[in-house]
Amino acid sequence: MTDITQENLEQMDRSEDEAQKARLKKAWKTPEGWRYWSAVNNTEVGRWYTAVSFLFFLFAGVLALLIRTQLAVPNNDFLSADLYNQVFTLHGSVMMFLFAVPIFEAFSILILPQMLGARDLPFPRLSAYGFWCFLIGGVFVCGSIFFQVAPQGGWFMYPPLSTQYHEGLGADIWLLGLSFIEVSSLAAAVELIVGILKTRPPGMRINLIPLYAWYILVVAGMILFAFPPLIAGDLLFELERLLGWPFFNPEKGGDPLLWQHLFWIFGHPEVYIIFLPAIALVAMIVPTAAQRPIIGYGWIVLAAVGTGFISFGLWAHHMYATGMPGISLAFFTAASEAVAIPTGVQIFCFLATALAGRFVHSVPMLFVSGALAIFVLGGLTGVMVAIAPFDFQAHDSYFIVAHLHYVLIGGMLFPVAAGLYYFYPMADGKQLSERLGKWAFWLMFVGFNVTFLPMHFTGLLGMPRRVFTYEAGLGFDLLNLISTIGAYIFAVGVVILVWDVVRPKKKQPHARRNPWNAGTLEWLVNMPSHPWSVRSIPIIKSRYPLWDQPNFIRDVDEGRFYLGDAAEEKRETLITSTIDARPIQCLRVPGPTFLGLWAAVFTGGVFIFSTYHWYVAALISGVLGLITILIWLWTGTALIPEKPAKDIGLGVTVPLYLSGDKSVGWWAMFITMIGNMSAFASLVFGYFFFWTVHEDFPPDPSQGPNALWSLVGAGCVLGAWALTLLARQANRKDRAAVFYGALILAALCCVAGGLALFAGPYSSGLDPKSHVYPATVWVLVLWSLVHLAVGLIMQLYCMARRLAGRMTAEYDIDIRNVALYWHFMAITATVTVVVIAGFPRMV
Amino acid sequence: MTEPDANRDDPETPAARWHSLWLLTLGPAFWTMHFLASYITAAIWCAKFAGRAGSLETVRWLIGGYTAVALVGICLVSWFGYRQHKLGQATLPHDADTAGDRHRFLGFSTLLLCGLSFVATVYIALTVVFIGTCE
Amino acid sequence: MTLYTSRQIGLNGRHGGMIAPVIAVGGCDLHGPQSALSPAGVGAEQISSLFWWMAGGAVLIWAVVIGIALYATLARPRKKHDVQGARWLIIGGGIVFPTVVLTILLSYGLMLIPKLRSTGNVDLHVAVSGEMWWWRVRYTSPAGEPVELANEIRLPVGKRVSLSLTSPDVIHSFWVPSLSGKVDMIPGRENTLILEPTKPGTYRGVCAEYCGASHAFMAFRVVVMEPQDFEAWLTHQAQPAVSSGSPSARQGEQAFLVNGCGACHTIRGTAADGRVGPDLTHVGSRLSLGAGMLPNDAQTFARWIGHTQQIKPEVRMPSFGMLPEEQLTALATYLSGLK
Repeated sequence: MTDITQENLEQMDRSEDEAQKARLKKAWKTPEGWRYWSAVNNTEVGRWYTAVSFLFFLFAGVLALLIRTQLAVPNNDFLSADLYNQVFTLHGSVMMFLFAVPIFEAFSILILPQMLGARDLPFPRLSAYGFWCFLIGGVFVCGSIFFQVAPQGGWFMYPPLSTQYHEGLGADIWLLGLSFIEVSSLAAAVELIVGILKTRPPGMRINLIPLYAWYILVVAGMILFAFPPLIAGDLLFELERLLGWPFFNPEKGGDPLLWQHLFWIFGHPEVYIIFLPAIALVAMIVPTAAQRPIIGYGWIVLAAVGTGFISFGLWAHHMYATGMPGISLAFFTAASEAVAIPTGVQIFCFLATALAGRFVHSVPMLFVSGALAIFVLGGLTGVMVAIAPFDFQAHDSYFIVAHLHYVLIGGMLFPVAAGLYYFYPMADGKQLSERLGKWAFWLMFVGFNVTFLPMHFTGLLGMPRRVFTYEAGLGFDLLNLISTIGAYIFAVGVVILVWDVVRPKKKQPHARRNPWNAGTLEWLVNMPSHPWSVRSIPIIKSRYPLWDQPNFIRDVDEGRFYLGDAAEEKRETLITSTIDARPIQCLRVPGPTFLGLWAAVFTGGVFIFSTYHWYVAALISGVLGLITILIWLWTGTALIPEKPAKDIGLGVTVPLYLSGDKSVGWWAMFITMIGNMSAFASLVFGYFFFWTVHEDFPPDPSQGPNALWSLVGAGCVLGAWALTLLARQANRKDRAAVFYGALILAALCCVAGGLALFAGPYSSGLDPKSHVYPATVWVLVLWSLVHLAVGLIMQLYCMARRLAGRMTAEYDIDIRNVALYWHFMAITATVTVVVIAGFPRMV
Repeated sequence: MTEPDANRDDPETPAARWHSLWLLTLGPAFWTMHFLASYITAAIWCAKFAGRAGSLETVRWLIGGYTAVALVGICLVSWFGYRQHKLGQATLPHDADTAGDRHRFLGFSTLLLCGLSFVATVYIALTVVFIGTCE
Repeated sequence: MTLYTSRQIGLNGRHGGMIAPVIAVGGCDLHGPQSALSPAGVGAEQISSLFWWMAGGAVLIWAVVIGIALYATLARPRKKHDVQGARWLIIGGGIVFPTVVLTILLSYGLMLIPKLRSTGNVDLHVAVSGEMWWWRVRYTSPAGEPVELANEIRLPVGKRVSLSLTSPDVIHSFWVPSLSGKVDMIPGRENTLILEPTKPGTYRGVCAEYCGASHAFMAFRVVVMEPQDFEAWLTHQAQPAVSSGSPSARQGEQAFLVNGCGACHTIRGTAADGRVGPDLTHVGSRLSLGAGMLPNDAQTFARWIGHTQQIKPEVRMPSFGMLPEEQLTALATYLSGLK
């Protein structure tokens, strides 16, 4: 592969080539010594992220072995009930929140830019911030078990058990620690969506992008609608636990089922958020193994997008036993059956590709085959439990334990192991051992089936889930023992896999370039890789450029495409148009900084100190966090370039700065606010949920929030919004006086609006502790108030930016993004007032 | 080496428009709307009006109406998709580096998604065929 | 793992004997006291035959898919398979086949929902409340009086029974796998479950929703009896307690009242009228102690009263291990004598 014909180059070209490489190297240099941890480049952050998620996986795996050891024989006393409940709660929570979801973010941060021929993702510091949040939150949650204060409400944390009956810190650790991690997932979603839509290489039109990118695009979109309901649920939950607002307490009008709805609106899509990225890895590995392009590219896009949508109509199939009306059961049964169709299509696309190709065997493909055998069975039992009547029996029994492990281990862990073997050379430049890989596979495959196949019968023989022990003689003693033996076999396989990864490989030669003879861009990588990842950003003409485009690697290596140089020694990557990937901007991405780490530490402080009710410390930490983030934004974003445009090679000149809906930052704000809106919508859903539950909800309008104050509040917020838009126009026309005047007035309106909104429920004496109605009104108002505070800071920030000369009429990213935020702020405040003050007068 | 946005090999060169990506999501969006409308209607009907064992007759008619609207919408979108897919002479897999194939690909995917949404919508509608009360 | 079926599986689940396939998995009999696969009620019968049909189909589909995969990856035909054929595989295997199968399955599943949930033609109402970690059961006696019992349910065979399910504390779930599926007991709500037992016998039920420390120890027995036996049993249960009157039993009754047991427990016919814990009027007649945990005999009863907390973690009842040995024995004799 390295057939670069240096002889043909002239001496001058060679020295120019060296000079360019030196400049690229300087720009993309990884910091050394203790400063290494300030790195933000996707290769470093991606590697840390992957390693840490795997550590959490191993931790949760050890917990699983504890569970199986306890259940090996009936009436066992290896673990106490109390400890067992902590162990199974953490096992589920850690696997789901600290491994299954983060591992996809980790892999994507690591390999997605390479697949897109990009030098980095558009917001490297955001990735780093997300990673540090993940690490801090994860260690906090996992650490709790060593002090015997781990959560013990199950990974689903159903109230009222975990709101009214668990007095320790466990539930708070779960809620606050994991909310913190959910924030980092949202950050990753923003990063990945913008990355896929805007940092593709020129020519990579929407019909040519790697299937992995399609899947990740869908999954990141799903995160925006799936995680916020849980964050909203967490907010209600913590307000009940810390302040006694009775959202789930039936004695004061609350309803435990609201939590179940919010949790599963998150929880079911989450299964697909876990599954789709793993199947995305398969979609990259199968064509390589078959040595031909995928058959049914369009069908796979159908599967990804279709699953993404339908997976939001399945949540209540986790609630079939809650006694909801038969017609509701029927809707969710129907949707749950429908989702099987897109899930099946992609499997047949892989089979068709394998059939039509010349199949090459490899360890990754072995894991893919194992994944298929396991997942198909899990999918089929999924079709079974989706039928409500069968689920009446299977629900909360070991049948479900078997089903979900078939789905998650077949649909996630095996593909991830395949991905690990497949992509390992990209990260390390070395191959993993084929011999150890085969051993690991067969032990894991056999161990898995020995563990979980019997559980189908254990469940149907009547063993419920989450029991710390069981009575002898009910028919499942032997089945449990077999499962335990299988779990240990499985664990040995995992240990071999881990050994293969961590064993010293100093003496092992580097892998050859493109070791699997793959067709996609990520295999341009050198072994070992350079920090700048691609020598030049290529023009793409095929779904498999390495197979189809002649002399492709040579042209890339000789810097014949775009951005082969870093003349200003700055980190740069190319921004292209969304549909057809035409170059539109040269984006300067920020380099190493500790700001992301500090911001994560301080944000973590807010959550962790709140857990222990150290509110002063939490407040201080919050203020420090805010300052850190402001410094980060001030010094690292929307920087005015030294020249308006830049020659990126091949005679193309593109701007260095774009604002409004052409800038990546605007898109990041837009996407974040979509997620924000879904959290808000969940709170509004809560209001109407209680309306359906209670006869007298909302009560007579006279007992509700003061209508006049609420209306004044909404009016002021709308005024602040209009003035912010005016300020944006004035800035563009460079009319400084109008700009400052409008923004100062907007800020005043914002404060007045906040006060008036507060006065609404306050003046009519609504006490959120007394009943769920005032609590629901207050939580909507509180949501608006917090967002107004953020909006106010943004307005002040824009004024300061212009004063400092960091924002001008032409370079106006800040005010454009703030105006966008205020659109959503206006919607939030209006909806809040219509619901709390308007709705009681309508019914 | 060619120009980045060369479309010479394609006579029609349809312009890249945002709506083409949104078109993709339109079919499933109809399904989502239909699903939510059906679920919310039935849930509110049973909770606020009909009572535990109440009849779903009214809801049946409503959901029938939603279904008709959703299916007509899905068919319309799939017709757009089909036209896009059939642009010019090219056939599957629409993987050429041309604006035309990009256009056809988005049309084809739209068509497929409409097919799925159609089936899924019919599934939701099937519920009221079999279930007549709130029990 | 061997799986052998001795009888035809029928979809019409009315005749329990016809459909219960005698199946052994690795030597394990699928007939357990808590097995959903040895049904003794209409609901469980319908669901178990649904399961066998689906399981058979699933195994078949799995085998075909895996067969294609093995062929695609292991076979080395001289000529490559053509792409058009592979596309047909996607359309046929990925779209047409699943759509047809799922439509049939969905229609059958939807038909079953109203069958399992219809609350019409009910012969008997029983109220069950799941509490941490036991079951409060309320019947109405033939005379129309409310009768409160605990941790055991008896039902007449062949009758439709409506259970109203509630909870005063956390979410529990009422599950007797041999009779029907489960329904949650949710604080602030009232759910209904219809049971229609078809075979006399004793079945085991459990709490299926995780409800805290002793979730694993929240079981009960369901005894399905001939209707006339059931009537007699219920009439007896409605009566006040009858002590055997032996000296030890009299001493036990004294100990019960003196040690404040009556603050939590009711024994009809005595001064004990507590409402916190299970009614003990006829506790000696029950099949188990501690909510389905322990056998019901005087010795175990003494151990239970003396070591409640060790046996059942975090249960509300304190251990009465501080009582002298003979008082414990007397208590146990008295209580197990309350037939």
